Amino acid sequence: MRRQSYILLLAGLAGISACKPDADFRTPAANYTPERPAHFPPAHYTHDKNKYSQAGFELGRKLFFDPILSANNTISCGSCHKQEHAFADVNIRLSKGIDGKTGIRHTPAIFNMAWNTSFMWDGGVNQIEVMPLTPLTNKVEMAETISNIVYKLNRHKEYPTLFKNVFHRDSIDDQQMFWALAQYMSNLVSASSKYDDVYTGKTTYTKDQQDGYNLFKQNCSACHTEPLLTDYSFKNNGLDYQFTDSGRYRITRREEDWGAFKVPTLRNIAVTSPYMHDGRFTTLEQVLHHYADSVKQTPSLSPLLVKNGKPGLHLTADEQRKIILFLRTLTDTKFLTKAGLTE
Amino acid sequence: MKTTLSKYSLILAATAILGLDSCKRDKDPEPGPIVPVYGSVNGKINYVFGADMVPWQLNKLYVHPKTGDSLTFTNFRFFISNFKLKKADGTWWTQPESYYLIDAKTAAESSFSIPNVPEGEYTAVEYTMGIDSLHNVSGAQTGALTLSSGMFWDWNSGYIMLKAEGDSPNSSTGKFALHLGGFSGTNNIVTVRTAEFGKTVKVTNGTTPTMTFTVNPARLWHTSPGLATISVIHMPGAEAVTMAKDFYNNVTLSSVQ
Ligand code: HEC
Ligand code: HEC
Repeated sequence: MRRQSYILLLAGLAGISACKPDADFRTPAANYTPERPAHFPPAHYTHDKNKYSQAGFELGRKLFFDPILSANNTISCGSCHKQEHAFADVNIRLSKGIDGKTGIRHTPAIFNMAWNTSFMWDGGVNQIEVMPLTPLTNKVEMAETISNIVYKLNRHKEYPTLFKNVFHRDSIDDQQMFWALAQYMSNLVSASSKYDDVYTGKTTYTKDQQDGYNLFKQNCSACHTEPLLTDYSFKNNGLDYQFTDSGRYRITRREEDWGAFKVPTLRNIAVTSPYMHDGRFTTLEQVLHHYADSVKQTPSLSPLLVKNGKPGLHLTADEQRKIILFLRTLTDTKFLTKAGLTE
Repeated sequence: MKTTLSKYSLILAATAILGLDSCKRDKDPEPGPIVPVYGSVNGKINYVFGADMVPWQLNKLYVHPKTGDSLTFTNFRFFISNFKLKKADGTWWTQPESYYLIDAKTAAESSFSIPNVPEGEYTAVEYTMGIDSLHNVSGAQTGALTLSSGMFWDWNSGYIMLKAEGDSPNSSTGKFALHLGGFSGTNNIVTVRTAEFGKTVKVTNGTTPTMTFTVNPARLWHTSPGLATISVIHMPGAEAVTMAKDFYNNVTLSSVQ
């Protein structure tokens, strides 16, 4: 009984002390906002409820690289998403998850996620916080249940304190876990490639890179829109006559979405091979060859990939070479090697 | 002893509220707060089956009067949300964060409590079958809306607002699994309902009325074909809309006591 009154008294005091500006002892001192480059549009994810903090970012990072999140403690998010490949997977066409099980799609890069309007190749996931639900529970990825993860985290020797420092709740619940992962991913920002330096007037392209950039603007940027190098729309870019993966159609059931996938960013593209949702191409040369001459005409093909009445962008070998030279300026070595992003 | 202490606690709680309130002082200089008195209202789900409205429960065989299907439900869960209560003066009180996941498995999970209802007299209730669109796109949430309940589609974000699963010899697989959801455009199944009490119902610190809602799982097939035609629904779409609306629009407030 007496204890109850004490708690209430404490609550009263806490209420009062919360009013003191700036002197809040609970929030860590470091930067309060995730990186938001000046030459980018405003981010889509705004941390309205999930307040960003350095400690939250670090907690999310620890979770991202901790196999405790998988059913048999063998696979972490970082097993598939690797920093040196812009958090994509390398040399694996389709993702490999728990017990070596193969997924249905290629592991995409993860950066600038705070600007994404949807997630996954088909855009089926609508918010960065709920994104991890799929890999965590998918039978061929991490195959764990959310309640068991929460149970494991609460019994862990470090997590209860770490979570409390960030979220100030009595115990860990799934919302805090999703929030921490979102804080981490929200601060994986890639914006310091040569492309960015040119974009912000700090340097210039070589002659061939500049030609490539001009060709890119004519042929590619209607979908791979600057400066994020995607417009987040869903397009059929003509890979197949018949689709084993129906893509966006799976979500919308609209005929025009057959074989349409989310336009991926082309930032760091030189280090995220293999390419496309099923990792079918291993080199940028193959990709350019596809756009030049191998685009397949089907009813859902994007009209942007039809030129002079024929499918394809009809690029010469030299034009393809120059576009690739431009694409290589999109590699952000600082991001790929930045300290503090990988646990 | 007990009363003294709880009085004491009340004073302390008021201090807490005052403490918090003082943060806003410089912004809105209103006169000292009137501490309102609250009661609560309970809710209870009553399950019936078919036009005869026979009592319904899980793991028991029922024959559907229209489709003729034999149905043994093993799982029946749905969301009810956004409660509002109409005061005798015609204004509405809105419950904040009002989300309940009902599970037919137990009586406890088939009843709920609406706390912090201001004392007064009420004449009607408004509630929503399903989850409003905003909360389908708001990321990770707590309480009834937790992502750990299995009531959120991981590959196609949005709440499974109603889950009806079970066994039937009339389905080609011997099973049925109807996962109904959808919150936008023509796929929207979210249904707002209102019910008049037909009288004035008092809510005070000591008087807690109970609203009983009668739901009829047979209504899922009111205009939808039997399990030979549809035994699985796992995403939003026209089939889900028809089934959900037929069920939702039949939910009735059967008593308030
Ligand atoms: C087994 C490999 C694997 C693991 C483990 C994995 N992912 Fe992924 N990730 C993928 C694949 C494959 C996709 C694309 C899925 C699709 O589109 O169907 C993806 C997509 C994503 C995306 C969406 C990217 C975009 O541009 O839409 C994010 C974000 C993401 N994963 C984060 C995570 C997090 C967080 C974890 C850990 C909780 C995780 N992943 C674990 C393979 C994996
Ligand atoms: C009509 C819109 C559109 C246009 C125009 C377009 N793309 Fe794409 N691009 C896409 C889509 C959609 C995908 C993903 C397709 C898939 O995975 O099935 C894609 C994928 C890619 C990829 C692979 C990315 C990855 O992470 O796997 C590269 C590289 C690429 N495009 C380069 C280009 C270049 C270079 C051009 C111009 C020559 C171009 N694109 C023009 C829509 C477009």
